[in-house]
Amino acid sequence: MRRWCITRSTEELIKDEHFKLLAFLITSARGCVEEPHLYGSLRLVDAASKLIDIMRSEGKTSEELEKLQKHIEEGKHLLMHSEEDFIKFLDELVKELVKIVKKS
Amino acid sequence: MSTLVLEVIKGRRSVRSFKPDPIPEEHLKLILEAGLWAPSGGNAQPWEFVLVREKQVIDKIRLFSPGLFGDPYALIVLCVNKNRIKRRDESGKQIALMDVAMAAQNMMLEAYYLGVGSCPIASFNKTAIKELLDMPDHVDPVLMVSLGYPEKWPEPPKRRPFEEVVHYEKY
Repeated sequence: MRRWCITRSTEELIKDEHFKLLAFLITSARGCVEEPHLYGSLRLVDAASKLIDIMRSEGKTSEELEKLQKHIEEGKHLLMHSEEDFIKFLDELVKELVKIVKKS
Repeated sequence: MSTLVLEVIKGRRSVRSFKPDPIPEEHLKLILEAGLWAPSGGNAQPWEFVLVREKQVIDKIRLFSPGLFGDPYALIVLCVNKNRIKRRDESGKQIALMDVAMAAQNMMLEAYYLGVGSCPIASFNKTAIKELLDMPDHVDPVLMVSLGYPEKWPEPPKRRPFEEVVHYEKY
């Protein structure tokens, strides 16, 4: 049976990394209505990086995931320089992810 | 003097990674003052600037600001004061946005001149920020500028060539 912890204070909640990701996703969903369409891709890879942060804090990350996050952090701002390079970067991330899946 | 201004304009970068070092209050004041001296349609000065330095408040703003990267020392939230543009039609409201954008650019250039990195941010939830910062109905947040000493100054992005952009006498 699922258990809920309902005694957390708001103060605790807003420091919680899951909650931060949740707020990021909801706010991004609203923002994407008006923002340039590639900003949606940027928000998703940024969320992926935040998710890896959470996985690390829970001891669920791996060397490959650490590498993937490094790649995301190094490349996510390419969108501000060149859309073409940003799309190439997204392709590279997918290939990196496939490598991780194939290895398992 | 014109060379110096162009050097500052060309040197400014959008900084998305900051050192935690505090920015002196007098420098923050100079940056805000640069905003006050921006041009505005009909000299309406339709802006209000909210300086946020408290980390706790910045962290709350971050929850609703997907476009805020890094951990800036301070944020300036630039707003339109609708009471100052009451008699304007829709295009007049757009002019108010241009006014605020020019104020933001002034701030970012002054910041760069003082060695402070900055980044303009439009990707934030306006309703949430208005609520968080207790803004009255007639004040709308439209842009933020993050401020802090850069981890590193980014390389300049490519610029479209002068000849492609500039047209003399006619298009």
